[in-house]
Amino acid sequence: MPAIERFLSLAFIPALAATPVAAGDFAFVTNQNSSDLSILDLDARTEVKRIEVPGKPAGISVDEAHGWFFTVSPDSKTVRRFDIATATEQSETTLDGGPIGVAVDGAGGRIFVSDWYNARIWVLDAETLEQRGTLETGSAPAGMAVAADGSWLASADRDANRVSVFDLTTLELRHAITVGERPFGISAGPDGMIYAANVGSNSVTVADPATGQVTGTVEVGERPYGIAFAQGAGFVTNQYGDTVSVFGLDDLAVEATLDVGEYPEGIDVTEDGRTIVVANWFSNSVSLIDAASRTVTGEIGTGDGPRAFGHFIARDHGEGRP
Amino acid sequence: MRPTRLLAILFALLVPGLALAHGPTRQKVTLEAEVAAPASEVWAVIGNFQDMSWHPAVAASEGEGGNAIDATRVLHLGAPDGPTISEILYKYDADKMSYSYRITDVAVEVLPVTNYSSHLTVKPVDDTHSIVEWRGAFYRGYPNNDPPPELNDEAAIAAVTGVYKAGLDALVARFASN
Repeated sequence: MPAIERFLSLAFIPALAATPVAAGDFAFVTNQNSSDLSILDLDARTEVKRIEVPGKPAGISVDEAHGWFFTVSPDSKTVRRFDIATATEQSETTLDGGPIGVAVDGAGGRIFVSDWYNARIWVLDAETLEQRGTLETGSAPAGMAVAADGSWLASADRDANRVSVFDLTTLELRHAITVGERPFGISAGPDGMIYAANVGSNSVTVADPATGQVTGTVEVGERPYGIAFAQGAGFVTNQYGDTVSVFGLDDLAVEATLDVGEYPEGIDVTEDGRTIVVANWFSNSVSLIDAASRTVTGEIGTGDGPRAFGHFIARDHGEGRP
Repeated sequence: MRPTRLLAILFALLVPGLALAHGPTRQKVTLEAEVAAPASEVWAVIGNFQDMSWHPAVAASEGEGGNAIDATRVLHLGAPDGPTISEILYKYDADKMSYSYRITDVAVEVLPVTNYSSHLTVKPVDDTHSIVEWRGAFYRGYPNNDPPPELNDEAAIAAVTGVYKAGLDALVARFASN
């Protein structure tokens, strides 16, 4: 049975058990202030379940290959692994430091957790969450991005104004790239480049992970936070602007600025590239953006203080879990 | 809350903070109060970013830029030579009777928060009443792990709530005789 179908039918919509459920995208939104997680059906545009995640969760990363998602609760310093199909916790660990962000290295069976207070990244076994080692970063690493081919990991080291790039085969530091002021969110673009959002200088820095060179800068709105990509464009949440800036990947020119909810933070895209989803931290909702027409098409309520800091959308392929 | 008590709370905090860093969990506070005056009348009192004399804790202020984006103000608390909070305006909409500003400089001994931003809005109720809504988003004063109690999340929420309540109470009282 497809993962999401099983989850839907068993967990909360018995009426659908006999009905084929079309494959679709689901969002897993960490609500930091209410210490829980909203599971949103993005096709039905509704919250289908809310589960407790103690300790003020912020970081999130889905691992579609294994049917898991991971959460990070900075207040209790806890990392948890959940099963997507049943939305139940499978394992957890407590880390001594300031865990905040999480990224998945699906192929390698590892996850990476940034330590905000100790300038390092923990490398954990994805299944057991046992520590395998640490990577040394600049001060206050927050967001992380993994290359589509799994060859590198990049971290936004906020208080060092730097992006660290690690080789994921050797786990060695490949580049320390000076970017704008206080990078927090970071993403891997479809063009293979690194995009880091600088909250202090209201810009996005584009850098080449192969050479370690900065190749461009995009001026966006106030306090940019997260970046997602669709339809040849980058979409950046501007925390203080209550907006999303849309820029072309070819010319790095801002093409549109869209009004969303208050304090937009986490941003991700559905697998078909059609819908951008933005978590509005103050408004307790997500905004849905049609990526092609660049218009806001809807809103779904969440718990209190949605952060969704990381990759938070998973698609049910109708294939079941591995 | 009377201004003297507010200041006593604010001054009880004596640990230095860092300018850029912040704690792990941003906090939010929303307070609102119904005021016995039409929205336009209330907006006339609080809608000027350069005049916060309606708040009992503000003894004096100076600023630049009027109500334009990036306008600044420095609030003096308790007395004209009292401790200061420096703020900058980043949104202003007279039609919606709303503006947003953030703190650019404050000692955590004065207000135990970092990365503070705020929105003040007047919403019409009817011809004689309106609601003032004051919202804040901020991190606690202590940026590192395991904060002392006077600089933890609860202390930050309590301090901001105290400031908002004092201001809203003053507005309610100001228009109570309408």
